Amino acid sequence: MAHNNYNGYAGDSMEVESTGPKVTVREVEPGRCDFVLQSCSLAFANSIRRVMLAEIPTIAIDLVDFEINTTVLPDEFLAHRLGLIPLNSVNVAKDLQYTRDCTNCDDHCDQCSVTLRLHVKCTSPENLHVFAKDLMIVDGRNDDIGRPVLKDAARNGPLIAKLRKGQELKLSCIAKKGIAKEHAKWAPSAAIGFEYDPNNKLKHTDYWYEVDAKDEWPVDQKNAEWESEETAADASFDPDVQPSAFFFDLESVGIIEPDDIVHQGVSVLQTKLAEVISGLGSSDHGLNGGVSPDPYEPAPADGYAYGARGGTTPYGATAYGSNGFGY
Amino acid sequence: MSVNGDTSMADGEHETEVMEPGDEEDILLGGTPKLVVLRGATTHAVSFQIEKEDHTLGNSLRYFINKNPDVEFCGYTIPHPSETKMNIRIQTWEDTGTTAFDALRKGLEDMIEACDVVSEKFTEARDEFEKSKA
Ligand SMILES: [Zn+2]
Repeated sequence: MAHNNYNGYAGDSMEVESTGPKVTVREVEPGRCDFVLQSCSLAFANSIRRVMLAEIPTIAIDLVDFEINTTVLPDEFLAHRLGLIPLNSVNVAKDLQYTRDCTNCDDHCDQCSVTLRLHVKCTSPENLHVFAKDLMIVDGRNDDIGRPVLKDAARNGPLIAKLRKGQELKLSCIAKKGIAKEHAKWAPSAAIGFEYDPNNKLKHTDYWYEVDAKDEWPVDQKNAEWESEETAADASFDPDVQPSAFFFDLESVGIIEPDDIVHQGVSVLQTKLAEVISGLGSSDHGLNGGVSPDPYEPAPADGYAYGARGGTTPYGATAYGSNGFGY
Repeated sequence: MSVNGDTSMADGEHETEVMEPGDEEDILLGGTPKLVVLRGATTHAVSFQIEKEDHTLGNSLRYFINKNPDVEFCGYTIPHPSETKMNIRIQTWEDTGTTAFDALRKGLEDMIEACDVVSEKFTEARDEFEKSKA
């Protein structure tokens, strides 16, 4: 490839990335990590944020089979609560298959799911509290994947339901691998604080105010100090300045450690890129001299579309991309 | 076609083709290819349509491609919110040897590299922080 010696993000010294991205970890506590990402673009920092929020694979209860439910709560209500229970997801990305991709089974198996059972009955006059700890993993896997995460002092985990005397709950759950883009129950991170330019020097936002914006709007002091507040910023406003420090405050749900979320997030992003590269195929075939085919004619047999022979799949031609144009 | 395992498969059986992550030309999502070239493409001006991607990839990929001095224009759009498609348009300067395909590939590779650096630097920073706490 000809690129007149352009060597990417680390090249041009005029660019923000002259030294490549920089990371500083400012604070770590169980389930939380506060770090600053520097010398990269807002677009790239935002990609990392988005991927950590919504695209890291985790495990969550997806199907619930009720045998007995004589509680006051309807099945659907309980099924929804069960879905939201945090289950240990360390190594889910590499050690657990997506059920839809699993080649080992027709429905679900140990390699693509974890089965949890719950059977409780209240026999005392006092109400019985059913917690996540009462979910029993049906043996099958010899790792911790799918184990309910119990972070509270009493090691109970979240409360699922309360039972009165005589009420019974018996069910089995199938937990599957998924990502938060499909359903928020698969989110590995509870919240990701993301901020740049805490003093609004770049004027990317215009604060509404009654008397004085400075008095009426909160400023993250820690971030503001990091950027060394400049009172004369208004006088020297430069519209071409790019943001360069991004303040992340990553809070985990507890199913994956925060530093793992960062690494996995980055690797998910890399997988996406690699997939597109792979879809692009070996560079120079396909567009022979840039002659675009007649859109009203069927795609040539060798496939104008990259990645595969037109829109054909092992299952036959598909509506989308069948002519190689995606329409 | 997948070349993996074809010879080792039990004879006479109708085996479903196994898709390996590394298998080139086999990235099909629900029957749609990961990447198609939209009509009207020339060597130096191409609109790609990428399947199952959104702003997460689109915006920063656009940025990385735009950093290439051979690139005249790069922009992305998500044509319809209920279709999981992301279009990215790349135009390179006609007097350069860089085709739009080269520019896309370069952008993708650069971003992968930037990801590596972030991951690496994060590990370093985390270790450093723990050392300072100990
Ligand atoms: Zn399976």
